[in-house]
Amino acid sequence: MAFHEKSAWIMTLALLIGGLFYFGLVVLISNEMQQLAPPLLPLIVIYTIIQIILAVVGHILIAIWTPKEANASLDERDRRINERAGHWSGYVIGIGVITSLGLYLFTRNGDLLFYAVFASLMLSALAEYASQIVLYRTRL
Amino acid sequence: MAKRAVIRNQIASLRKQHGLTQAALAEAVGVTRQTIIAIERNRYSPSLETAFRIAAVFSQSIDEVFEWLDGKEKVID
Repeated sequence: MAFHEKSAWIMTLALLIGGLFYFGLVVLISNEMQQLAPPLLPLIVIYTIIQIILAVVGHILIAIWTPKEANASLDERDRRINERAGHWSGYVIGIGVITSLGLYLFTRNGDLLFYAVFASLMLSALAEYASQIVLYRTRL
Repeated sequence: MAKRAVIRNQIASLRKQHGLTQAALAEAVGVTRQTIIAIERNRYSPSLETAFRIAAVFSQSIDEVFEWLDGKEKVID
């Protein structure tokens, strides 16, 4: 498995764990409040710290596992995979933001707009790394 | 369904003839070992520059290493 594919796995797992943590807490707090909880800065800070820790620790571990590949720069196949994955994730963020804006037009709920755009960002990043994994494993 | 490979190559057999490992070929060409593996398995068609570099390592012309199937033959990965 290429180092960059391992990196994509790390980031996919980090995004999944972070996303489940963040939106899990949002659902819990909203249930407590009996309404959609407003976006909370401490929760976003904790989410960001979790993402950074998982990404850094994950990359240190795979660098220890495959030290020769850790410093390898992207070759032409890696770059082509990144470009294609970035292209697909662009569609995800685009559709997500348009959907979020449409949702706001109908609900006039700024909190919901925040969560929808934040989820779109997460899904876009997830789509990019998941696409990379798929492209590394299929014919390009 | 597997995609049809348009470009086939003789890299694996040439590499064995020359006693080269995938890692050694990758280093000589300037790509990762995984890219050499993908090319050998017809899962990735390299750029023209990389194709020339690979042919040069084996002291062969490009058409002796790579074969363009031109849609005439179906190859399943």
